Amino acid sequence: MPVDRGDWPDDAQLVARSLAQDHEAFGQLIDRHASVIVNLGYRMVGNRAEAEDLAQETFLAAYKALSTFRANSKFSTWLYRIASNKCKDWLRVKRPGQGRHDLDADEHLDLHIAEERTPEALLSQQQVAQELEQAIQRLPPLYREAFVLKHIEGLSYEEMEEILGVNSDTLKMRVYKGRVQLSRDLAVLNQMG
Amino acid sequence: MAPMNEHDLLIQRFLDHELSPTERTAFLQAVDVDPVLRRRWLNLEMVAAETARLPKIVPSAEFLNRLKAQVIPAPPSLLARLCAAVTAHRTLEWNFAGAMAAACVAVVAVAGLLSLKPERIVEVPVTVTPAQTASFGAPSDPKVFVRLILVQPNAQSVSVAGDFNGWNPAQTKLDRTDGGVWTVTIPLKPGRYEYMFVVNGKQWIADPLAAEDAGDGFGSQNAVLDVAI
Repeated sequence: MPVDRGDWPDDAQLVARSLAQDHEAFGQLIDRHASVIVNLGYRMVGNRAEAEDLAQETFLAAYKALSTFRANSKFSTWLYRIASNKCKDWLRVKRPGQGRHDLDADEHLDLHIAEERTPEALLSQQQVAQELEQAIQRLPPLYREAFVLKHIEGLSYEEMEEILGVNSDTLKMRVYKGRVQLSRDLAVLNQMG
Repeated sequence: MAPMNEHDLLIQRFLDHELSPTERTAFLQAVDVDPVLRRRWLNLEMVAAETARLPKIVPSAEFLNRLKAQVIPAPPSLLARLCAAVTAHRTLEWNFAGAMAAACVAVVAVAGLLSLKPERIVEVPVTVTPAQTASFGAPSDPKVFVRLILVQPNAQSVSVAGDFNGWNPAQTKLDRTDGGVWTVTIPLKPGRYEYMFVVNGKQWIADPLAAEDAGDGFGSQNAVLDVAI
């Protein structure tokens, strides 16, 4: 059923009210965005408790820096950027120097797809979901980040460009290569099954 | 970073909805005759489809309350606010001009209230022209055959409901082909149509391959199909 949002304040109004010390308004921003921020963290670090801690750090940083938020970008974009940086900081500290997980190196991923059969042909939906979750965790962070924002958060390349500060052509390539890597991982599982 | 070859680039542009309608048609024709390209494309479509189906975490009310308590500073207690109000430093200033202006406004307001009288309400009859409708028959409208494709390897049935069939999911069913690809070809008059796929008779999903979406007023997105000669 359609939701009547006639008196539903938009994010910009809630930000303005938060800056005027209306604490309830920032609470509404938390209610509205906590889910996507927790899910972004979960897909990036692979652990729910850590993801919730990262969400807390994200909202704390956003609250403290709210006066620096400029209304020429969306609040959600700004929040994504903070969350994305928190995730990268976490990965640098918790998983430093893991070769293909190195955050600062753009990886070379093989585009060859080894398996020509449909990956899901012999697997249950649950197996595919489990393997896919693990395979996303194995993606190099730069690819994982782009893939998650595109295919889990459903953002456009323009929004991703603004959040990550990386041009959209590079992001398209990262998303595509992430897909190829995941496709190959699922195909290998199929071979084993 | 290694560059993508021509096939990769074509698939990437198709997946990211960057191809023009003509290029999309050419791409679908190419995958029809090239099984390797088709498998390569379908594998990547399925990664996106399966990813979209991954379960999402729903934060608990307890977590949200904890988050708010930790992020938002607690408002001062009633006692603290009372103490602050009582002990706050204040400067009282007497502004003669301001006081006179306020007094004048008060006098005018009272005078206005005393002179207030109810006014007559005049009713004016308005002639209303009834709405008219008309329909025009076009028995020889040209039709375009449109092929719809959905990748759903685990589906038992897939149908399509939209403006063109009265949103009746029982009317237009898709056929399953190799690799869990469901297709149907339907004749449509030129125009703009909204539609959704219905999986297993109950799950309504937007067409991930649609070039355009439109809100349906219920929080979801319908796919939009522009049919032109």
